[in-house]
Amino acid sequence: MAVTEAPLPRPALVEILRSTKAMGTLLSLVWVPLTIYVMFPNSVPDGIRDSLLIPSIPAVLILYAVGVHSWRESRVAVIGLTLICFWLLMAVSAPYLPLADPNKPIMPFAVPGAERDGHIFWLGADFKGRDMLSRAIWGCQRVLVWGVTATLIAYIVGTLFGLLAGYLAGWWDEIISFVANVFLSFPVMVLFILILNYLGPSGFNIVIAVTFASAPAVMRIVRGLTLDIKQRDYVLAAQTRGEHPFYIMVVELLPNARGPIIVDACLRLGYTTVAITTLTFLGLGLQPPDPDWGLMIRESAGTAMLWKFSYMLLVPALSVSSMILGFNLLADGLREMSLRD
Amino acid sequence: MLKLILRRLAQMVLIMAVVSFVLFVIFDSDKFKKQIAVAELGGFAVSALTEEDYRAWLASKGLDVPFHERYANWMANLFQGDLGHSFEKNTEVAGLLADRLLNTGILAFWVFALMIPIALTLGVIAGIKEGSPQDRVTSFISVFFTSIPEIATAIILTVIFALGLQWLPAKSAMIGGWNWQELVLPVMTLVLYDFGYVARMTRASMAEVMTSQYIRTAILKGIPRNRVILRHALRNALIAPFTVIVLQLNWLLSGVVVVEVFFQYDGFGKMLLEAALFGDIYVIQAGTLVAVFVAVLSQIISDIGYTFLNPRIRFN
Amino acid sequence: MERHEISRREFVRIAALLGVAAPAAYKLAGSTPAFAEAANSPFPAPDANAKRGGILRVAMQVQKMEDPATYAWAEMSNQTRHILEYLAMTGPDNVTRPMLAESWEVSEDLKTWTFNLRRGVKWHNGDAFVADHVVFNVKRWLDPQLGSANIGLSTFAAMLEETGEKDGEGNPIKRTIEGAVEAVDSHTVRFNLSRPVLSVPEDLYNYPTAIAHPSFTAPLSDNAIGTGPFALAELKVGDKCVLKRVTKTADGQDFEYWGGDVYLDEIHYYNFDEDNQLTAFAGGDVDAIYEFAVEQIELAKALPGTIIAARTAQTLCCRFQVNQPPFDDLRVRQALVKSVDNAAIKELVYPEDGDVAENHHVAPIHPEYFALPPLRRDVEGAKALLKEAGYDESNPLKITIDVGNTDGPWHQTVCEAIRDQMKDAGIELSINVMPPSKYWEIWDKTACGATAWTHRPLGTMALSLGYRTGVPWNETNFASAEFDAALDDAEATFEVEPRRAKMETVQRLLQDQAVMIQPVYRPVYTIVKDRVTGYPAHPTQYHQFNRVWVA
Repeated sequence: MAVTEAPLPRPALVEILRSTKAMGTLLSLVWVPLTIYVMFPNSVPDGIRDSLLIPSIPAVLILYAVGVHSWRESRVAVIGLTLICFWLLMAVSAPYLPLADPNKPIMPFAVPGAERDGHIFWLGADFKGRDMLSRAIWGCQRVLVWGVTATLIAYIVGTLFGLLAGYLAGWWDEIISFVANVFLSFPVMVLFILILNYLGPSGFNIVIAVTFASAPAVMRIVRGLTLDIKQRDYVLAAQTRGEHPFYIMVVELLPNARGPIIVDACLRLGYTTVAITTLTFLGLGLQPPDPDWGLMIRESAGTAMLWKFSYMLLVPALSVSSMILGFNLLADGLREMSLRD
Repeated sequence: MLKLILRRLAQMVLIMAVVSFVLFVIFDSDKFKKQIAVAELGGFAVSALTEEDYRAWLASKGLDVPFHERYANWMANLFQGDLGHSFEKNTEVAGLLADRLLNTGILAFWVFALMIPIALTLGVIAGIKEGSPQDRVTSFISVFFTSIPEIATAIILTVIFALGLQWLPAKSAMIGGWNWQELVLPVMTLVLYDFGYVARMTRASMAEVMTSQYIRTAILKGIPRNRVILRHALRNALIAPFTVIVLQLNWLLSGVVVVEVFFQYDGFGKMLLEAALFGDIYVIQAGTLVAVFVAVLSQIISDIGYTFLNPRIRFN
Repeated sequence: MERHEISRREFVRIAALLGVAAPAAYKLAGSTPAFAEAANSPFPAPDANAKRGGILRVAMQVQKMEDPATYAWAEMSNQTRHILEYLAMTGPDNVTRPMLAESWEVSEDLKTWTFNLRRGVKWHNGDAFVADHVVFNVKRWLDPQLGSANIGLSTFAAMLEETGEKDGEGNPIKRTIEGAVEAVDSHTVRFNLSRPVLSVPEDLYNYPTAIAHPSFTAPLSDNAIGTGPFALAELKVGDKCVLKRVTKTADGQDFEYWGGDVYLDEIHYYNFDEDNQLTAFAGGDVDAIYEFAVEQIELAKALPGTIIAARTAQTLCCRFQVNQPPFDDLRVRQALVKSVDNAAIKELVYPEDGDVAENHHVAPIHPEYFALPPLRRDVEGAKALLKEAGYDESNPLKITIDVGNTDGPWHQTVCEAIRDQMKDAGIELSINVMPPSKYWEIWDKTACGATAWTHRPLGTMALSLGYRTGVPWNETNFASAEFDAALDDAEATFEVEPRRAKMETVQRLLQDQAVMIQPVYRPVYTIVKDRVTGYPAHPTQYHQFNRVWVA
């Protein structure tokens, strides 16, 4: 629909922040410290580790403000963004919140609202007496870090092969597409189980498994987009200029395939989060003792089968649901907006 | 058309051959043989075995046969309908597989029997009038339920109906014989997770049909709106959902794993997970091939169905 | 209980060892407990109020029943326990009584054991049970080709000799000594051992020592002929196992069971993995379960039924390999042990039941347990030792323990508690959690790991298996000629009182070497419905349902 609207006078600051470079900086300001904090806890000295996440807190808030401002026309997207940023904020500020140690047993089976030594268990405590609120908040750190990393890697691999298959075509396309077809003909969970059983359960292996399961689908999307875009004039122009195919793929093709990829990435983040939680529940994912939602479900599944203990299962279940709802609503909103443009 | 089907079927056989070979390579490794030994004999016992005892044990299980020979044997047996022997369950894989597939089939039947009418109705209601309140509400419901992962849906339903209201049993092991009550929660879980996606597809398809030229013409011609929708729009709008529904079979094989494990329902998904954890190679082989077969076949059916049902493609 | 007096239970065991009929022994001990009944039975006394008939439904992993001599899991043996029987039987009270053997005599040097078999025992096919059947089974177990774990038991190890040849790996090839087991007459069997062995009756109730019919061929589930009161009616591995009372022999005659009253008609095992057994119980699907974990105890308390806690010697050894740095330094090991308060950890993990362990792997329920002075936590002492060994605040001792949670998540809880306590002494312990299957790959190789050890009826048994120089299960690489000699001495001592005196040295030697932190002997929990009477709480979860009845 071509409704022409007078462009709103935007504050200059927002304009600056919306630039790709600024967003990239902000995102990496959140992402890099969080990844280091969770994945490589021993690679930085304790002193630095303690303050590692402090700069990420304002970065999340700025990202949120910019996001709300740019997507204000879609209520759905804003709700989704709010949910995601809430968990992101929890993830980066967990070390600085006045929470109990998530691994410390204090009061087993404390019901929500119970109190001991001045510590109130707002969401109760699990069978070992560990504070559920604290575990739920710390848990989102691991889910987010592993989920996003896994999706990111799957995207890099999938995009690379998609560009290769779409742009080079011919034998490249045949081979890559056949391999992708082999992977796509597995039900996802079956593929996960096989791969993780082979590699052994751990966060890094989840990244590999997700890459195998998701990259073929990403590859298909990117391949399709590439086949479409490569007929366009600017690509042909670059070819006549004699540019290297790699240059054409990365500089000419990729940025123009961005839109659909971002929407798909949002959905896929949701799937990956579900996969990690589910796999951890099945005992193939992240390992104890540090909390994450799938593990909380797994550990409580045999214990909490009683109405008065059901909070042990509900807290992680609702947490993971709200985060995935966030990803899906955001994807929905973005798609709606892209159709409207 | 026939050529297309044959081509796809040939591709499927090729994929299954590749998959079975790769699985055999993986599970033939020393690591997995050791895993079977630990699962069978216990960790203490395995570490006390001498190299010779261990080899004798491998021989007694038929695991010492060289890889290519084992694979060839397995292939030869496969064509005679012999899927091998389960190390863990100590039974023929064919019988076990049939048993578990039947259980999952019953589950899947009820999921589809409930999910399809719900999803189509909601999708059509939403799609008739795009952007209306009814559309917004149904769309939100669809996204909402699809966003709750099965594991969370299973938990929430269990807490409400089994632990809270105590209307339904919490587990579905069916040990006292067949009990429909134990089937309710697993079916509900899968339906709730699944209907949203199909409903959204139906909505999109319906919305597209409603804006098409011939429906507008029909309405302009003065045919009652309801009749237009029932007679003309619906038929065309349901083509896209049909393909999606067939593809859900593939998805269901993923979804049943967590639901069956959570509810302790003895189906295909639980069998596959148990086999993988045990290293029960022949069960994994058979299970994976069935899964791949169902997945690829559903893709083919969906493609054929789409071509067949869609007049635009057929007459091109 | 007075420590240095012979307790009633121990007296009964000694009497049993000597072949004195149990009722007489109980009379001598001055009390008549439930077990003291006529006819020299290993089972509890018949219950006059018992209701006959009915089905007992138990949630347990249902496993395959191949060859009882190569069973690897207690679950398999439970499925078989009411079909095939044993020469002896260790009851829930950890006392071993005669079963298919009516009594036994032992020579002064503990090398010759003579078993008088019970008369009137019938197989399900109508055959009479005779001495040759026992000889058949023992010879079968000793065949290295069979791969039975029984060869590892002291009794049967003492029936083997080295041939002088070696296999490809350099391990000596062994064969059965001529005449190691002989049928003296139709109802007398003699074991002629090459070494003194104390634990012969206990070894004869180890789960792979069930006595099978001479016609036995694997798998057992195809044709299970036993002497027990039940027969296998249906087995679906991973699903269910149904046992039914035997009323007729295969040749059509009435089957009369030697063991007296049996009340149940059927025993049904339904497959549930350990996490789900209690939930199955909560759902009302079963009458009893194999086991629930301590984490589930609040759920269990909230359910209608009776919680049974069996006192056991099952334990967790957070052990160090004494030849691997930094644990090769005795001062380091002692500092680690001193920094931990075993009693506090037991209190945290198993607040209601269980016993505090004392880092020497002999449990208070073992007859020969010698009570050493209780261990004291000594943080300052630990710090001083660490300083001597070259560690201080600027260079703290950092160690990692591998945990496989092979026996449940409580392993991890124990290690976490140890970590918190070690912090006070400036030791940094990190916990490396891995899946159980992975832990079994490294359990005897890792420098520091938490390994679960099961219950064994005598205190010397675990020591012999795990701490003698060079034995296969020696996961600590502990090697001490002095310890081996002291243990030999204790194991050659038949009577409990003098043996206990000798155990003082054995236990102290192991404790002083600080090879492990062993904080707790855990209880084993199960739960039964109130309609079930007489359900035994066995320390190794062995099911003995002869006198169980359901209302």
